[in-house]
Amino acid sequence: MNPASVDARNRLIAAMRRLAQGERAALEEVYRATSAKLFGICYRILGDEKEAEDALQDVYLTLWRRADRYDPRRASPIAWLATFARNRAIDRLRTGKVRRGTVAEDEATQLADEAPLADAILIDAEREARVHTCLQSLDDAPRVAIRTAFFEGRTYTELAESMEVPLGTMKSWIRRGLAKLKTCMEAGE
Amino acid sequence: MTEDRILAAEYALGLLEGEELLAARAREASDTAFAADVGQWQDRLAPLADAIHPRLPRAEVWQRIEAQLSSNGGTANIVALQRSLRRWQWAGGLSAAAALILAFLALPQMLGSSEPAQGIAQGPTADQPILAANMPIEGTPLRLDFTYLPGEDSLLVGAVGLTADGVHDHEIWFVPPKGDLVSLGIVTPGKIVAHSVPNAVARALHDGSQLVLTREPLGGKPAGADAGPVVAEARFTTI
Repeated sequence: MNPASVDARNRLIAAMRRLAQGERAALEEVYRATSAKLFGICYRILGDEKEAEDALQDVYLTLWRRADRYDPRRASPIAWLATFARNRAIDRLRTGKVRRGTVAEDEATQLADEAPLADAILIDAEREARVHTCLQSLDDAPRVAIRTAFFEGRTYTELAESMEVPLGTMKSWIRRGLAKLKTCMEAGE
Repeated sequence: MTEDRILAAEYALGLLEGEELLAARAREASDTAFAADVGQWQDRLAPLADAIHPRLPRAEVWQRIEAQLSSNGGTANIVALQRSLRRWQWAGGLSAAAALILAFLALPQMLGSSEPAQGIAQGPTADQPILAANMPIEGTPLRLDFTYLPGEDSLLVGAVGLTADGVHDHEIWFVPPKGDLVSLGIVTPGKIVAHSVPNAVARALHDGSQLVLTREPLGGKPAGADAGPVVAEARFTTI
């Protein structure tokens, strides 16, 4: 990590701490630093601007109420927030109230093998994270399926339909892929 | 990988739906080993999100969040307060609500037989308005009623319908905008009692001022000891 991003990360950790103590100004600071990334994630999963806005609002309001759940020892704050936003967006898909938009479909194809992006706050040790390399080592089918699940919040059933294979085949692709991914990542942990 | 480990990975990736999803959620909440596996998978996968293009939300989104915060200001503050109290609170096995129900057993026959408080309620003359607050007791139909009479520097605390458990007392605290909480005395179950209000508190009280209730040993928070858990809260409104 370069010094600027170490600095940004430390500021974010400090803001998360103040947030956990109920300091409202800290929420705005966290929002300013992370909302573009988290909105990107919500939009990617939900594929609809309006739904993504609702999800984003929900993410920060929930964060305000539960900021004490963040444990700086476990993950970097941005990684934790990204997971949090992705989970909330996927929850919206699963509750059935939200129909996934179609906007992201084209982007999905383009994104299939895209490298991580550089961005001020996002530049992190994690850009070099093993998951990218390990994912590349998988066969095409499980790699595409796992990526699509991650980026679009697709279920087994939806993946099987969109890739036109039986559900059982999809499950075994992904399970084998996940097992291989785990072995590969543990080798580097 | 074992079945469990596979399930943790599938759940973290978001592949599950329907009953499988519900079962995994329940498992995450109850099984720490499973939850740890899920967390590990989430951490492993999280860097993938670096490949997602950031997107600037409209300014309106933050305005909506702010508006929500303001309308729920009390909730957020009580959360913050509970967090700070949690650090120095008494150990207690019971949940706050359960303990409070034990502490205040309802006496239905007493409901509606509120004692008159005219002796105290003679016309407040100060320029401050009369303030009132309702403090609902979670899990029960009961509540504490607070009326602040500025002319008397008195706070009437109505605890009609509540009875003592013989083990705990409940202490009323004023939450100042800054600084330590100020005790306004101990609730007397089944009565309406006038509590005197310190001058500093009297000056600070206004529409929106917050009170919290903590569970304490008999006699209230012992000097030098930590305060008990917050079990209820209320805000004053002008009447």
